[in-house]
This record gives sequence, C-alpha cells and structure tokens, in this order.
Amino acid sequence: MLILSRKLNESIVIDGRITVKVVRIEGEVIKLGIAAPADVPVHRQEVYEEIRQSNEAAVTRRSGAVPRLFTKGVAPGAPTLDPLAGLPA
Amino acid sequence: MNCTVTTETGGLDEGPECVIRMPLGLLGFEQCKSFTLYAKPVEEPFLWLQAVGNGKLAFLAMSPYVALPSYRPEIAEEDAQFLGLQGPEEGLIFNIVTVRGPQQATVNLKGPIVLNRRTLVAKQVIPLNAPEYSVAHPLPIQGH
Repeated sequence: MLILSRKLNESIVIDGRITVKVVRIEGEVIKLGIAAPADVPVHRQEVYEEIRQSNEAAVTRRSGAVPRLFTKGVAPGAPTLDPLAGLPA
Repeated sequence: MNCTVTTETGGLDEGPECVIRMPLGLLGFEQCKSFTLYAKPVEEPFLWLQAVGNGKLAFLAMSPYVALPSYRPEIAEEDAQFLGLQGPEEGLIFNIVTVRGPQQATVNLKGPIVLNRRTLVAKQVIPLNAPEYSVAHPLPIQGH
C-alpha cells in the first residue's frame, strides 16, 4: 500500500482524474473531499461491503420456489404491485 | 426501447419484460452491465433481474413499497444526474430480495436500484439516508 503524508487542504491525484483532498481534521475524524468522474463510484467501505455481501447472498436460482408474501394489509399504501407498470412498451 | 411483452409459452411465461443497462453493474458484480427485468404474474409482487449472458446470475427483486410503504430513500444528486432523471416520475425503484429459507426472506432497503423508465439505465445507489434502512429487512412470508 502506498502511504502518503498530507496536511490540511492538501490533495492527492489518482489517475489524473480523481482528486482526494483533506478538507478538515477534527480529532479522530478526517473529512475528505473527493472529486471523481461520474463513472467512478465512491463509497464508504463498510457500506459498500455490506451491500456487496448482501448482493452475493441474494444470487438466486430461477428454478427455486419463489416465496409467497402476505401482502394484504401489509402495504395499504403501496402504489402498485406491478413494478413494471408504466415502463415504455 | 427494448421493452416487449413476451408471449411465447416456452420462454419466461407471459408478463412484461425489458432489458436494462447498468453501466456500473451491481456492487460486487461490476462486470455485469446488462440485465433482463421481467415479472411473472403468479410470482407477484416479485420480479426477476437476470444477467444477460450469464444464466447463473439472477436476482429476485421487488418494489420496496410492498415491504415498507413509508420507504423514502433520498437519492443523491450525482446519482440522479448519472441516471439522467428529469423528474421523480421518471424513476422506478426496486430492491433485491434474499431468500434465506422456505419461511424466510429479506429485502435490501439500503442499496436500492433506481431505473430511469425513459432510458432504461439503472444504478444500484446508496441513498443519503441509507443508515436508516437495513440490508436485510424481513418480509412477511406465508407458511405452508
């Protein structure tokens, strides 16, 4: 792992298109400003890992039985049960 | 648009079907950028997200409002721009379901998928208020 020392308001540049700047230092909390193109996703690692693991656990075989839900009374305000309704035909 | 209603009986059963593009893939599956989204009426309220070109990669998904009518993910401005959403009515939100057993299933409310209905481009986003929601929100499953 590359380790660089930076002071407040100093930055690093990654791949000529991503800038990470130390914006504020408050005790143990360091605020970083990240400027990256729209096609570069930036996430907090713990949230990214949580969702990635959830996605991996969710891979489902199409042949498996689909559970049946109690939907009556569960979702009185549900706009629609057909999530594809309104898509361009 | 690539949306068609499949009528062939040997295929995916009757029901709406369309191909959506996910330029960033799903978190952990960044290499899969194209999915078929379809629903079978008998499996309501679920729908399927099937990776194009990888028959083994499929996800069950659903409208989050069936599970939690008060669900209000705050979509970041960058995500709305990425998707080219011109108004809330252009967006469609659905969430991935994990089947954990015959009597147990959960839905990921922390990482919803937002689809632009007009362009059929979608992204799995992390809403600004993601800490309010669980990756494993329990679903009310009917017993046998």
